[in-house]
Amino acid sequence: MKKFLNAPENITVELLEGLCMAYADKVAMTGKKIIVRKSPKSQDKVAIITLGGAGHEPALSGFVGEGMLDASVVGDIFAAPGAPNVLEALRLFKREAGIILVVLNHAGDVMSSNMALQMAKREGIKVHKILTAEDISAGIDTPAENKRGLAGCVPLFKVIGAAAEAGKSLEEIVEIGERFNNQMATLAVAMTGCTHPQNGQTITELPSDEMEIGMGQHGEAGGGRSKILTADVTAEKMIAELAKAVKLAKGDKTMLLINGTGATTLMEMNIVFRGAAKWIEAQGASVNAGFIDEILTVQEMAGFQMILCKLDADHLKYIKAKSNAPYWTCNG
Amino acid sequence: MRLIGLATANLYFTYSMKNFTLEDAKKLFKAAAAAVAAKEVEFSKLDAATGDGDHGTAIKAAIAAAAESFENSSDLKNAFYDAGFATMSATSGSTSTLYGALLMGIGDGIEDGAQALDAAALAKAFASGLANVRAQTKAAVGDKTLMDALIPAVEAMKGAVNVQALFDSAAAASKKGAESTFDLQAKFGRARNLAEKSIGTLDAGATSNAHIFAVFADTFKNS
Repeated sequence: MKKFLNAPENITVELLEGLCMAYADKVAMTGKKIIVRKSPKSQDKVAIITLGGAGHEPALSGFVGEGMLDASVVGDIFAAPGAPNVLEALRLFKREAGIILVVLNHAGDVMSSNMALQMAKREGIKVHKILTAEDISAGIDTPAENKRGLAGCVPLFKVIGAAAEAGKSLEEIVEIGERFNNQMATLAVAMTGCTHPQNGQTITELPSDEMEIGMGQHGEAGGGRSKILTADVTAEKMIAELAKAVKLAKGDKTMLLINGTGATTLMEMNIVFRGAAKWIEAQGASVNAGFIDEILTVQEMAGFQMILCKLDADHLKYIKAKSNAPYWTCNG
Repeated sequence: MRLIGLATANLYFTYSMKNFTLEDAKKLFKAAAAAVAAKEVEFSKLDAATGDGDHGTAIKAAIAAAAESFENSSDLKNAFYDAGFATMSATSGSTSTLYGALLMGIGDGIEDGAQALDAAALAKAFASGLANVRAQTKAAVGDKTLMDALIPAVEAMKGAVNVQALFDSAAAASKKGAESTFDLQAKFGRARNLAEKSIGTLDAGATSNAHIFAVFADTFKNS
């Protein structure tokens, strides 16, 4: 393993300290690895909170900031934070307007959030959970509970964060968010595995001339292995599946996002984006919001996640609204 | 002879009616914490065969946190809720979350202000605890997890004639359940990725659970 590290047990705290030092005007850390906005939004607006393991930077804490998240509760590397830490964040943001807790569908995250919600209810904290499970590698018709939440949570933070900032009610934001969720699909492709930064263990190995479509963000197997294909063929294979999943039709407006998982160059991602965007246009639909970036990485895994979402008018407005998080700034 | 016979019956009657109090909970968890700590390395070694080898550390921290919390409690119902919270605060990971859910659920299943639970009330409390665990995980009997020991243990409590019989039945059922994991293929957690390679090892979570119920049964007998 070749990584710039100090003591393995300090990785999470050190990376969060670095984030808060670099973006001291935007974010700060509370005691229990909870990242919050430097200037909180007013109490009369709905708070947006998420939770998840570290090791996927800039996700999730890089999206705490104006117009996006109010807080992220961080676990250890690839591990969910404990329920008491999640409860602590919910207590910090207890308010009449309510809280939305965004949970990516992974067993540990779901378990911790369910326990935290149970305890929060006893304390009279008004909170609603939104589960993201947009990965279609298990099959388009697979029930949400058996699908994983991949990088699609990040544009969701953007949309519901902006709606919260605009003063929408908890019920309105949940409706906007769930509608966004239901119109979104993600597929991942990997060319190499990665190493766990704490113990150096290799997570999934792929032969040097193969790639795998459908691999999860901890290297979980997806099944679609093949020899390495060109950017265009890869993009077309993936976008065709995603279009089927969201029932893309002529005239639809879409968001297309290419998320690099760590070791794939922006050069490649630009070329892949081009292939997928051309395919969408050829169907008579349009790409109205495009993003090429590393938003949720998997250490040094080579590959990317492709996210397609059909956009309604309000989604289009909020995805382009003002935001000022360390890793997503937008002038609006 | 008849008189002696009556005296023995009386003694047995008194013994069998011993109900479960906060003092018992303190003793049971204190004993379980010590027993689990003594087997930490063994549980971690079992886990290393299929998982990341930290079960010993996780269960030791979880039960120690529960035991410490019980020591500082003054009400039976709240003691279980607080112990559950303390367990989840001690470490993160599925072991502490599931044991936390179990303890909190047991607390939910106890009447407000209850001082002592008879076998039926204690079985009801454990059933409430199990329901809360099952709300957190879909793992069932046969998936090679903690649930292979915990589910039969709680089911065996139903209909127990007294609290001692309840713990004895639970201990026997969880032991049998834990032993059954040897031939099972893992379907949950990291062990799932090993598929058939996971057959031929005991599940660490089920094994430690059986150990805890065995300690409960022994400790209650001697208290």
